[in-house]
Amino acid sequence: MTALSGVSLTIGERETVAIVGENGAGKTTLVRHINGLLKPTKGSVLVDGVDTRKTTTATLARKVGIAFQNPDHQLFSDSVENEVKFAMTNLGFAPEVVAQRVDWALKFFGLEDYRSSSPLVLSGGEKKRLTLACILAWDPEVVVLDEPTVGQDALQKEKLAQIFRLLQSTGKTIVIVSHDVEFLWPIQPRLVVMSGGRVVAEGQISSVMQDRGLLDRARVIQPQLLRLHSELRDRPPAPFLDVSEARAWVEGRDSRQERR
Amino acid sequence: MFWLSGGFVFRRVVSPFHKLDPRVKLLLSLELFFLALVSSTVAEEGALIAVVLVVATVARSLRRIGRTVLFSSLFAAFIFAINLVFGLGLQSAILYSVRFLAIIGSTSVFFVTASPDELEQIMKWMRLPRDVVFAFVTAVRFIPVVMLDAFQIMDAQKSRGLEFEKGNIFARIRNMVPILIPLVVNSVIRSGELAEAMESRAYGSTPRPTSLYGMRTRWYDVVVAAASLVVFVTVTLYIYHLAPL
Repeated sequence: MTALSGVSLTIGERETVAIVGENGAGKTTLVRHINGLLKPTKGSVLVDGVDTRKTTTATLARKVGIAFQNPDHQLFSDSVENEVKFAMTNLGFAPEVVAQRVDWALKFFGLEDYRSSSPLVLSGGEKKRLTLACILAWDPEVVVLDEPTVGQDALQKEKLAQIFRLLQSTGKTIVIVSHDVEFLWPIQPRLVVMSGGRVVAEGQISSVMQDRGLLDRARVIQPQLLRLHSELRDRPPAPFLDVSEARAWVEGRDSRQERR
Repeated sequence: MFWLSGGFVFRRVVSPFHKLDPRVKLLLSLELFFLALVSSTVAEEGALIAVVLVVATVARSLRRIGRTVLFSSLFAAFIFAINLVFGLGLQSAILYSVRFLAIIGSTSVFFVTASPDELEQIMKWMRLPRDVVFAFVTAVRFIPVVMLDAFQIMDAQKSRGLEFEKGNIFARIRNMVPILIPLVVNSVIRSGELAEAMESRAYGSTPRPTSLYGMRTRWYDVVVAAASLVVFVTVTLYIYHLAPL
């Protein structure tokens, strides 16, 4: 079975790229190539000029941090603090650097109060934040996030968006795999649309999201704001009196006739 | 890991062996298992492995069962070494390790060809308690899920710089902790959720639930079962009475 075919993609330094597409489109398979968890059977994947087939995942981990979709697949330590330390000790960081980075990560993600708690007792949202803390603690150049908003409430999503903006400002290369176009829209990433193991479109989110035919084929829904914009743009101008009349107009009803 | 465990995971293919009544498949597997236990020479055990591979070919699962037998050779080598260390002699050491492979092959034949549904039907037919049947079948049904979990956990830990193949034997065992803890915790959580979901869907509300599928014995099932019994009795008699000791 071929999971990916004919994929040619360049992600620039300090760039934010979002990969969207239907379930089974090959998004997660693609990002697993970035840190060498999967090696291409044909072609090559280069990370900062290094061919992933010629190095180990552990070596690439210094440059590429991946936060997986399900936090339960990685949390195992007896405390939140040790969980954050884990990767840094694997990567051979000095103890004083580890302590410093752990403090920063826990504070940054609002997990200081859970420092000595077991990661297994945290809520879903806290676990998700912890996995991000684990990745960002060792300061990788490339941050890959697989479905970061799954299981997050609106407030957490807002906080995540803030974190992304901060990461963008610090010059990180960010790759996000997500179905959540509402979340992606304010971040304004370069969008890569995948379908059937192929990249079917790429470009700025504002332009790719205008192509309704493409989005339908890739089973991606436009953000609400854009849908409303298209809806209003495609209709002839109408004099609005109040909100209910505007709503009736958008829904194709004539509220004045109804009133009569 | 999958190469080793794949021989115990059901594979849905169309083959004459898969079409057999699950009781006949169990009978064949038990006959092979018993013969593996009573065979007393390396040649007999080798012949038995050959029979297992023939059955696997008929079941269109030669690659899967063959790989499991092949990778079990690592454990067989361990058995061989242990027997040598405890002074059982070279011949016995070889016999026990080959017997181990024959046992793996004979049980693998059943698990690769019998679906969890068929396993459930057999256990119900044996009149085992319903809860025991459900627990066992669910455990079997979840083997592929747990395996997938294990692979994903390994990927997550490798992404955090963990190297499983690094260090001596003790370090390698210690490296398994970041895999085993999430795997066990996930399995426990999943079992709790499954229990709640089953109860929500009226599990246990009636002592005698009906079954959508049943087992049917056809003419070829009878032929295969009878033929295998004849061969089994003949070989057993040969081993006990005719074979040189």
